[in-house]
Amino acid sequence: MPLQLEIVTPEARVYEDTVESVVVPTTTGDIGILPGHIPLVTEVDEGEIIVEKGGSSQSLAVSKGFAECVGDRVSVLAENAIQMEEINEEEVLAAQGRAEKALENMQSMDPEEVERLETTIRFARAQLIVKKRRR
Amino acid sequence: MPSTKEIRRRIKSVKNTRQITKAMELVAASKMKRAQQSALAGGPYASLLAETLSQIALRNEDIEHPFFEKREVKTRGIILVTSDRGLCGPLNSNLFRELVQIKEAVKFVSVGRKGTQFLSRTNRDLIAEFEIKDDVPYLKVKQIVEFMVEKFLDREVDTVEVLYPRFVNTLVQDPTFLSLLPINDFSEVIEKLRGGKPEDHKPIEDNRSFKFEPDVNTVLKTLLPLFVNREVYQAILSAKASEHSSRMVAMKTAKDNASKLLDSLTLQYNKARQAAITQEILEIAAATAANA
Repeated sequence: MPLQLEIVTPEARVYEDTVESVVVPTTTGDIGILPGHIPLVTEVDEGEIIVEKGGSSQSLAVSKGFAECVGDRVSVLAENAIQMEEINEEEVLAAQGRAEKALENMQSMDPEEVERLETTIRFARAQLIVKKRRR
Repeated sequence: MPSTKEIRRRIKSVKNTRQITKAMELVAASKMKRAQQSALAGGPYASLLAETLSQIALRNEDIEHPFFEKREVKTRGIILVTSDRGLCGPLNSNLFRELVQIKEAVKFVSVGRKGTQFLSRTNRDLIAEFEIKDDVPYLKVKQIVEFMVEKFLDREVDTVEVLYPRFVNTLVQDPTFLSLLPINDFSEVIEKLRGGKPEDHKPIEDNRSFKFEPDVNTVLKTLLPLFVNREVYQAILSAKASEHSSRMVAMKTAKDNASKLLDSLTLQYNKARQAAITQEILEIAAATAANA
């Protein structure tokens, strides 16, 4: 019985497929999920999701969110997610730099803006982690 | 029969109206496209979130969290989502019609100027008003929700609901109550978000109890507020899509009506002109005949 994996962000459904196993980065370390896993709800940390399908593996970068596993269905709800192939390292670094620079004078900013920048930085970090591991 | 001059003046004014409504239709159409896209894109996330929570709630009935606390409903808390501007067909008035039917005491939070105007005109209990522009910022929505949730926790209101025009398609918008707190029945929420029948989304057969990482309270502490925020966010996106769709349709009807009126006015004008010419010829002919 293979797993039904679904990775969804507020902007789009990033990934949807039947897979053999998936590794999810959680706040308490990576968790590997195989078919028949007990029902699980966990917090997802920024990092790499590794999907095993038909002998090949695929990886995605995610930032904070939740993962749920019930029966043969695994759902990942994340702030942001992107397939490894689509990551553009230079752009990510630039975005991270910009956000960090803007955050330097965070006292004078409204909390909305600070939160938005922090989200950007988190996602940038996750993408860089994934890129680094693949080299 | 009105004189040709009068008809000409009317034709001019109808032409102007048509031009304005046409421009508004085009603007609404382009905004509608964007609003519909973002409303549809956010749908899967919001419904999956609701499904996840319903799975948890279904299996762990002993969850203790203030969001699950059911108490006697004395005051309902309603977030009313309307448009800022008018000329969008029956969109807002449909919502107000739903509102007047409520018998219980209600405290309102209004999003959108039309709603604020209506509530203050009818002397209802408006505790806060917010304005949200066309690009809906999630963090702004979060503030609104947190404000309302605080009132719920302080027992100022006993429910938290959203009344908004739910986007079904370009022609149909459905005034909808989305009940968020206390959290009890998810099937309703899921149904409204997915737009399908509840039978289609049966809970998955797996009766082993849930394992939580790191633990139940940590997960629920972040998951529940996220759920409420996201559902309201989705509702507001949907309301924006409804607003622009409704306005586009209203403006298209107005434009079509103006065109039709213009046709009949032009016909009337030509008839009047022709009558005047015939009259003149007759007079000349009569004068010549008399002189001969």
